[in-house]
Amino acid sequence: MDKLIEQCLRALLAREGLEPKAGDLEQFAEIIELYVGNLKILHSVNLGAEELGPVFRPDWTGK
Amino acid sequence: MAIAEKPLHYLTIHEAQQLIRSRKLSPVELTSAVLERISAVDGKLHAFINLKAESAMSEARAAEAEIARGNWRGPMHGIPVAVKDQLDVEGAPARVRQFTQGVGDATAVRKLREAGAVMLGKLHMSSMPGPELPLPRNPWNTGHITGGSSTGSGASVAAGLCLGSLGEDTAGSIRNPSAFCGLAGLKATYGRVSRYGLAPLSWSLDHCGPMARVVEDTAHMLNAIAGHDPKDPTSSTVPVADYTSALREDVKGLVVGVPRDYINECASRTESLVLKLVGAAIDEFKSLGARVEEVKIPTLNLATIANAVIYYNEFWAAHKSDAAGVLKTGAAQRRARIYLGLLTNSADYIQAQRVRSRVRAEFAEVFKKVDCLALPCQTGPAPLVKDVGPIDTLFKHVVPEYNGPFNLAGLPTLVIPCGFSENNLPIALQLVGEPFDEVTVLRAGYTYQQHMKWYERRPEIQ
Repeated sequence: MDKLIEQCLRALLAREGLEPKAGDLEQFAEIIELYVGNLKILHSVNLGAEELGPVFRPDWTGK
Repeated sequence: MAIAEKPLHYLTIHEAQQLIRSRKLSPVELTSAVLERISAVDGKLHAFINLKAESAMSEARAAEAEIARGNWRGPMHGIPVAVKDQLDVEGAPARVRQFTQGVGDATAVRKLREAGAVMLGKLHMSSMPGPELPLPRNPWNTGHITGGSSTGSGASVAAGLCLGSLGEDTAGSIRNPSAFCGLAGLKATYGRVSRYGLAPLSWSLDHCGPMARVVEDTAHMLNAIAGHDPKDPTSSTVPVADYTSALREDVKGLVVGVPRDYINECASRTESLVLKLVGAAIDEFKSLGARVEEVKIPTLNLATIANAVIYYNEFWAAHKSDAAGVLKTGAAQRRARIYLGLLTNSADYIQAQRVRSRVRAEFAEVFKKVDCLALPCQTGPAPLVKDVGPIDTLFKHVVPEYNGPFNLAGLPTLVIPCGFSENNLPIALQLVGEPFDEVTVLRAGYTYQQHMKWYERRPEIQ
């Protein structure tokens, strides 16, 4: 796996008090690298400053 | 084939309910026949993980007595069904909860019971925790997978082990197995069916819905389970239609949109047979009086990765408290989702939500011009079991494909068979409607189904 991605994932897991199952990082290297690469593509679209995702509405009670 | 010539376990819900209502068939007789079928073939298919034969017979006897007293509750009364394990059932919480509590009957399960359905038990799903269970096999050819994650639902309905099933779909999990097993599968609009009692994968993408052998059965099941649920804050208050009103053969004047650019984008990963059969199905709509128009949805190419980002982040958030356990003993796909969720930052998640809004707006524009969309559901027929690895599905979640975009946009989506491969494996057509317009996709699907009659083919498993 790409060293930077692996270091990043290990740090994030450690922050949560977790550790990867033995062999997982090797087994999942390809999907992890593909996913991280495609995250960059997600940001390639030119969205307007006010094009928002679903937003908080004060009348929504969750019931 | 005439109803009288069909084995009881292969009756559709629509056929069985007519016979039950007119008292030509008893729920006890039907449930006994289905239990016999399970006993005969589930050893090869591995669909059920928790068969409740005794309580099912008791429920069938109660339904029979009630109907005999003149109290027929409706089309689901006395119909044997089963549910994907992801749904909680009283006394049998979803196993994927693993470290959390179930809630008794999920709302969709409760509603099916109130409609008088006979609950046969719970069905296998992908990525179950605990001791590895045998993978369900495709009844059309047991060397092939059923598709997931509603694996047991696909196998059981196709093989006549139940007349209908509830599945769940976060990135294709109703449509995948429906397509691979030759079923009608309906992922209704997000919010149309309560998620209460559905073990969460992703709160804003999870859809519960029916899987059955024909379109009319999905309509009967949706009639039973649709509607607002105060226990699910995302459930909608939009009035519920009578979905059986869609069951008329009429697509004259209907405008069917084809997202050609997007299909082309996925074409390199799609087998030519799928493109050919889906193209032929679209041509059939023309011959039936519909108008076909190509449509452009410019941001659709980002919808699958946006769906994956939301899926994995919400999965991580939902499982943060039990992540240590999942990483220690959970299935490979569940562990991988935690890693992928962790690797996504807040800007990625927010960007995915902004793309979601953009895609929704683009769909809304398209639905001003067309009544429904038609496109493939899968890139090919069901692969061989030996060719599928434990996390292969995840690769489909992160590159443009035919399922995730409609979870992202929450649109109603129906899959139905549109042909078979040379080795007799089903291929599916996918029809997509605008929010809460299940009636149009059901009408389009029903008309095509009645014209082509692919549903008359059945797997030969004995």
